[in-house]
Amino acid sequence: MTKLRRGITGFILRRVVLGLLTLFFVSLIVFAATQALPSDPARAILGRTATPDSLKALREQLDLNHSVVYQYTHWLGSFVTGDLGHSLAARGEPVTAVLGSRFKNSAFLVLIAAVISVPLSIFLGVIAARRRDGPLDHALSLSLLGLAALPEFVVGISLVLLFATRVFHWLPAVSLIPPGDAPWQHLKEIVLPTVTLVLAVSPYIARIMRASMVEVLESDYVEMARLKGLPEREVLWRHAVPNAVAPAIQVIALNLAYLAGGIIVVEFVFAYPGIGSALVDAVNNRDLPIVQALAVLIAGVYVFFNVLADIATILVSPRLRTSLR
Amino acid sequence: MTAVAPTAPVTAPTVGRPLTILARRAWRQMRTKIGVSLVALLVGVALIGPFFAPYSPSEFVAAPYAHASSALPLGADNLGRDVLSRFLWGGRSLLGLSILATLLGLVLGVSVGLVAAYTRSVLDDVLMRAMDVILAFPSIVLALVAVATVGPKLWLIVIVVGLTTMPRVARVTRGAALEIVERDFVQAAEVLGESQPKILFGEILPNVTSPLMVEASLRLTYSIGLIAGLSFLGFGLQPPAADWGLMINENRQALTVQPWGATMPVIAIALLTIGTSLIGDGLSRAAIGIDRGGGEG
Amino acid sequence: MTDGRPDGGSQGHLTRADLFRRAAAGGVVLAGSGVLGESAMAGIDAIDAATPKRGGTFRIGVSGGSTKDFIDGQNIVTVPDQARIVTGWETLLVFDSKFKLAFNGLAESIEHNKQGNVWTIRVRSGIEFHNGKTLSADDVIYSLKRLINPKLGLFGGAALKSIDPNRIKKLDKRTVRLTLKQPDGTLLDALGQYIAGIVPVGYSPDAVGKANPNIGTGPYKLKSFTPGQQSVHVRNPNYWRSGQPYFDQVVIIDFPDDTARVNALLGGQVDAITDVPPAQVAVVNGHGGTKVLESPSAAWRPICMRVDAAPFDDVRVRQAFRLIANRPQMVQQALAGHGKIGNDLYGIFDEAFASDLPQRKQDIDKAKSLLKAAGKDGLTVDLQTTSGALGMNEGAQVFAQQAKAAGVTVNVKILDSGAFYGDQYLKWPLSTDFWGSRNYLSQVAAGSLPTSPYNETHWPDAKDQNFLSLYNQALRTVDRVKQREILHEMQKLEYDNGGYIIWGFTTLLDGYSTKVKGLKTGDKGVLSLNAFGHGYRTIWFG
Repeated sequence: MTKLRRGITGFILRRVVLGLLTLFFVSLIVFAATQALPSDPARAILGRTATPDSLKALREQLDLNHSVVYQYTHWLGSFVTGDLGHSLAARGEPVTAVLGSRFKNSAFLVLIAAVISVPLSIFLGVIAARRRDGPLDHALSLSLLGLAALPEFVVGISLVLLFATRVFHWLPAVSLIPPGDAPWQHLKEIVLPTVTLVLAVSPYIARIMRASMVEVLESDYVEMARLKGLPEREVLWRHAVPNAVAPAIQVIALNLAYLAGGIIVVEFVFAYPGIGSALVDAVNNRDLPIVQALAVLIAGVYVFFNVLADIATILVSPRLRTSLR
Repeated sequence: MTAVAPTAPVTAPTVGRPLTILARRAWRQMRTKIGVSLVALLVGVALIGPFFAPYSPSEFVAAPYAHASSALPLGADNLGRDVLSRFLWGGRSLLGLSILATLLGLVLGVSVGLVAAYTRSVLDDVLMRAMDVILAFPSIVLALVAVATVGPKLWLIVIVVGLTTMPRVARVTRGAALEIVERDFVQAAEVLGESQPKILFGEILPNVTSPLMVEASLRLTYSIGLIAGLSFLGFGLQPPAADWGLMINENRQALTVQPWGATMPVIAIALLTIGTSLIGDGLSRAAIGIDRGGGEG
Repeated sequence: MTDGRPDGGSQGHLTRADLFRRAAAGGVVLAGSGVLGESAMAGIDAIDAATPKRGGTFRIGVSGGSTKDFIDGQNIVTVPDQARIVTGWETLLVFDSKFKLAFNGLAESIEHNKQGNVWTIRVRSGIEFHNGKTLSADDVIYSLKRLINPKLGLFGGAALKSIDPNRIKKLDKRTVRLTLKQPDGTLLDALGQYIAGIVPVGYSPDAVGKANPNIGTGPYKLKSFTPGQQSVHVRNPNYWRSGQPYFDQVVIIDFPDDTARVNALLGGQVDAITDVPPAQVAVVNGHGGTKVLESPSAAWRPICMRVDAAPFDDVRVRQAFRLIANRPQMVQQALAGHGKIGNDLYGIFDEAFASDLPQRKQDIDKAKSLLKAAGKDGLTVDLQTTSGALGMNEGAQVFAQQAKAAGVTVNVKILDSGAFYGDQYLKWPLSTDFWGSRNYLSQVAAGSLPTSPYNETHWPDAKDQNFLSLYNQALRTVDRVKQREILHEMQKLEYDNGGYIIWGFTTLLDGYSTKVKGLKTGDKGVLSLNAFGHGYRTIWFG
């Protein structure tokens, strides 16, 4: 038992280290890609107000007089300690100031989407598995397949068409949260972007849940529970589902990771003031410090959930379960 | 399949080309049929649509956002151009770029996967770690970083989307190839002194095509979504080009007065991605069926 | 005006009779272009018959904006900057709704000598800045000096080049005397532009986001500012026009996305917006509770050709390009008909506008032959544009399409506002831009001189000294008729050889909630929404 424990701890540790290493390479790539630009960042920041003196001062401040390697290590160092650099477009405002409330908005959106989609898709998967090969299952499977195929902006625009502009006028077509306001003060604006995100990830979770559930329902374990005379409902929810969820956890974590990238297009469609739309603006503005910061941030969330997925898989793997019982 | 010196019993791969078997099994399913029809329809619109366009995609024919009429069945767009004509012209770029990018990803991914599976040394680890690093980015973020640096160039989009397609293809290829690599007929080929590339592409590759086909259709679906998304954000084709993704963005402010400019491309992209996805699903089920059961055609 | 504080109701306009009375007393008002209106008292800025009500937070969505937004009482670049400058800063005199100058600003009087080179400005008494300090001659001196400071290159100082910073004298607490470098008949126009704000001594808003140094005399004080997002302004309780303003707070929100902006108005998230896309005019008018305000304007969105960069350094190429433009089609497609065609000349509200010059029409054959003569047939050029104002991107795209007929390939590059107005701005050979309504000489100073802050075309050609000498002459000319002749000559030069393709003038299309009272249709608009309700003080919630 202890050996197994150590093995698991070792595994977790290795995955975490690997994750950090991956993130390091990610930052390297992002930095290299954005520094490839030959233009003068100092001039880009000061724009028309540039004078030789102010240019010189700003270049000093931005370490532009040093080698690329120095710049990278300095950037990485500051990044890790929370200083994400200075925005080019916002006249040198620190990135953390520019993005602060936006990060909160995106986090909230992702959280709500996750909280809704996970239980919902688990439920759908279970239902489909229960009535497998029946008409409900077929209908559900096909719709989920279709939904999974659609790009998020298609889903988003269709929702706007249906619920905001053409068919019904129930909800606002754009999700404006005034800066400084908390997103939870504007729930009506959050509905459509949240639904879009939920529709983007639920199909995958529901499908894996269904597949896993089908296997579990046909397993000896469940047969045993039934033979013992337990009511079907209890068999289903207390015995079958917890076992079926295990393999689905990896997919769930991966989909949560996917949300980190999914918000980019969704926020743009709804003009939601989060880091996704900030990234699109920054790309348009060629505001490289913000692009760098957000790319690494989003990739970081992605890596985090991927590592989580791997760890979760190992922790709930059947081998482990049976050996512990 | 290559002839082998008939000395030892060899577990030869299934009779008949696996690809044909797979396709046949997939076709038997309703969903594949629907998928193929959808894709065929939209590819048709994209390829031969332009011949039926009543106007050129850049001509001005009416006031901006003019309503649908007998002259303009789908009305006019944001600058007063014919929506129907622009719609018929708008699929080529999306389709072309997506197919190119997916092909690039397949070629790269298969090569990496085969090499990794075959060498199974440090190279394997290094290659797979590299794939992990690429996978660590949400693909759209990688595309945005590239566009932020270089600008919205089409070749860049193909390369970036191809690069993000590569890792998953590599993984699948490697996974499938690992099995094959152990098999006798490969080892026999080695003993016979066949060159590595010949082994890789002659022996191993033909036997991983089933899972590869499934992955390819998944990747194509994703590429279409990603490239359409990039165009929608304004980082793909630039105005005045007629492109479905771009049209959606250009015309979405008029959803309340003249929805066709945005709605038609939305429907087109939706049907296209659903179609490729159905095909992928059909292939996937067929492949599972083959793995589980027999290998007949 | 017993205590020097004008009553909120009076407009302080001068009638012709008043002018002559002053002239008789020794001060002469120079007749430049766009002088004080005839019917100064009648019906200009007439206040709504209903009694204005106090209170409420007025939220306005403005087009464009990015993290490059800034607030400076004497400078703007984009529409959000315009919306913000009028909250807190005021000018010595203003342009009324007929686009005539009026003494409805901080100045009690502005007089000059017969020659026109010594000017005396007297400000009203009892006006306070947001921090309680009383407006005095020192502030006026500081403001003028800051405006003309070459290191700052402020938009507001472009037309004030005749002011000699070393010969500004304080006569008393409220009076300033300027001895100009040369006689200048356009000083009033220059001082009346909304960007010539009066700021307190020591004013210097530095990095964006620092609210504190940003004070003026205007109806609202700056409370907070997040560039690229929004700014909040609170009522100035000591505002000198008693009774005004009516709102407690004004919130100005950036909306670079057109759809988002219109939807915000329709959804009630804002009370007014600028730049309603023509496609949405019917929607906004048809929606219960919102309306569109149409104001004819002399605002233009030119296509700018650099006269000193290839291929446009050859005048034939410029002339060819001007002949490519099918102006009625451009107005129809780019502005959805909401505008009127242009003739490559700005300043249509100016009395001296050269309306006799024949209206240019599209002539593809002539264009082709000109290009051929210049050796430039089959030309390919890039055209940089952005959605800074309605008509810029659209005009660029329509023009590009028209250019095909002449064998010219125009590659339209749509940049984001931040990128467009970045370090490449004013350097592209071919680009678009947007301008508001302005009188001729003021516009020349702002964009057609080597010393102008926003000279996209780099006109005039270095070899051509004619335009510059005419300009200086015009400034010095007292006689109105004579000045008109000079202005006509200048316009002819620009008409023949200039770098602008001025294809049309936009009608300002703004949206507002019917709760908002006090807006007037038909105003000759300079800025959107009746100059943002004259700094958000002549509008209220009803």
